[in-house]
Amino acid sequence: MTESQSLLGRRLLVVEDEYMIAADLARALEDRGAEVIGPAGSVEDALNLVAAEQRIDGAVLDINLRGERSYPVADALRTRGVRFVFTTGYDAWAIPDAYAAVPRVEKPVNIKALSGLFSIDQSDEKPRTL
Amino acid sequence: MQESNHPTNGPAVPADNELLRLVFESATDFAIFTIDPNGITTSWNPGAERLLGYKTDEIIGKSADVIFPAEEGGFEAAAEERRSALAQGRAEDERWQMRKDGTRLWASGLLMPLAERDAGFVKMLRDRTSQHRAAEQLAQSEELFRVLATNIPQLVFRSKSDGERTWASPQWTIFSGLSFADSIGFGWLDAIHPDDREETQAAWLEARAKGEYYVEHRVRRSADREFRWHQTRAVPMKVSSDADAVDWVGTMTDIHELRVLQDRQKVLLAELQHRRRNLLGVVQSLARQTIRSSPSLDDFADDFESRLGALSRAQGLLAQSDNRPIELGDLVRAELEAHASADVEKVTTEGPAAPLPAMSAQSMALALHELATNAVKYGALGQPSGRLTVRWEVKNDQSRRQATVVWSESGVAMPEGGPARKGYGSELIERALPYQLGAKTKLRFEPDGVHCEIAVPLASEEKRDD
Repeated sequence: MTESQSLLGRRLLVVEDEYMIAADLARALEDRGAEVIGPAGSVEDALNLVAAEQRIDGAVLDINLRGERSYPVADALRTRGVRFVFTTGYDAWAIPDAYAAVPRVEKPVNIKALSGLFSIDQSDEKPRTL
Repeated sequence: MQESNHPTNGPAVPADNELLRLVFESATDFAIFTIDPNGITTSWNPGAERLLGYKTDEIIGKSADVIFPAEEGGFEAAAEERRSALAQGRAEDERWQMRKDGTRLWASGLLMPLAERDAGFVKMLRDRTSQHRAAEQLAQSEELFRVLATNIPQLVFRSKSDGERTWASPQWTIFSGLSFADSIGFGWLDAIHPDDREETQAAWLEARAKGEYYVEHRVRRSADREFRWHQTRAVPMKVSSDADAVDWVGTMTDIHELRVLQDRQKVLLAELQHRRRNLLGVVQSLARQTIRSSPSLDDFADDFESRLGALSRAQGLLAQSDNRPIELGDLVRAELEAHASADVEKVTTEGPAAPLPAMSAQSMALALHELATNAVKYGALGQPSGRLTVRWEVKNDQSRRQATVVWSESGVAMPEGGPARKGYGSELIERALPYQLGAKTKLRFEPDGVHCEIAVPLASEEKRDD
């Protein structure tokens, strides 16, 4: 399996309020074979997508959406059992304990590292540290 | 007159009473001396020599009133003491007396008339100076404690080693609204925030091992029922040998403002970090987008640099405004000046005050930058006959304020077949602004130049955007 196809068929939700970053991220994930849900730029839009979509294999979640925290979206994803990562500019200490265990990708985002987290078969790859 | 009382004939002690003589001679802690009815010294024991500094032969035949210092009334006081002794049968007092060298001693004294009235008096003095000083110091330190404890802004308390209070300062009662009676024992816990009581109690368990009590907790202020952060410290008083009986003295200091500022600083620091990283994210995507639309590395360098310039101008305005809303007009003019500073005649800008939320400023600046760059390369700012008008108006729509900016070029000969491609600028205006700012946008390439309309929500009044 080539790395460019490592996300083949994965349905990934992108939640990011900065359009250029969201578009960039979506394009990069699609280049690796993923099907992107969204992007959503607000907590409300993201919650609607989480409620409406039949299948979500993973999610990339910006913590700060136009001044609003995306933790309700994180809770909804947890309830559905969807794996997700935070993309954030916040340091670990600024994140509440309840979400401390969620993997974080710091901005600016390293697409390679990010897609590694959601690849179909991670067993033939070394564990990635972010 | 008995011979034993004669002043010139040695100690005026009854010669036949050996016991009395021995007491007189050996009582070195007591000054014992006799005086005649007028205060003239008739005998002076070794104790008197030691305590008062006069040798026997220096004072015999002279007035013993010299031991009364002026501030105690001097000779008058001595005479008064004799009158009192005659009237009462004895005169007892504690007062300052004066040694030969002028120093003072605090003496406990007794003056009694001798059996034979005109024989005079016997006086006995005991030096109580050190006890007096100690008592004075104790009173002073108690007063010092009282003044400190009742006047410093801190709330002061005394307690047992388990936190059981035995005393609370008036400030505590004023602050907490709990009376002295309600505060002692564990009554004071009532004023501690329920969430902090466990920690407050647990700290007393640790305090004995550490020799110091320390906790930060919220204490209810009775005036407004507000819980305010306090730092409470206590230490044991090291005066008892029994560790259980040791009293602890403590203070509670209001650190509410400090805590609030610290919390605020933490939030600000997190926000700063967030913005910094987010900005890098924007720069990253700006680079990727520019790479995609650049035929050559030179094109990339030009475009990327000028876009960074726009980003930097927006950041500059944001820094100046301290992240409060930014005037749309400032943003428009900053972008146009960066492109067409030499040719102001071509450009008209017009519009009322329109506060743009700080978080919208960056995207707006980038969009205006793309319009301006395009105008310089292909449009109104690059062609001699070209004119540009940027007008905006503000509308209030059901509590929402919105500005509509109209970018209108004229006198332009558009390149054959319209714009070469829909590039970064088009995507920014047609997709990024609606996505990110909730803006409504129209972008048209007309034969006489570019026309663009951007309707963008404004900051609500007085709202800080952070």
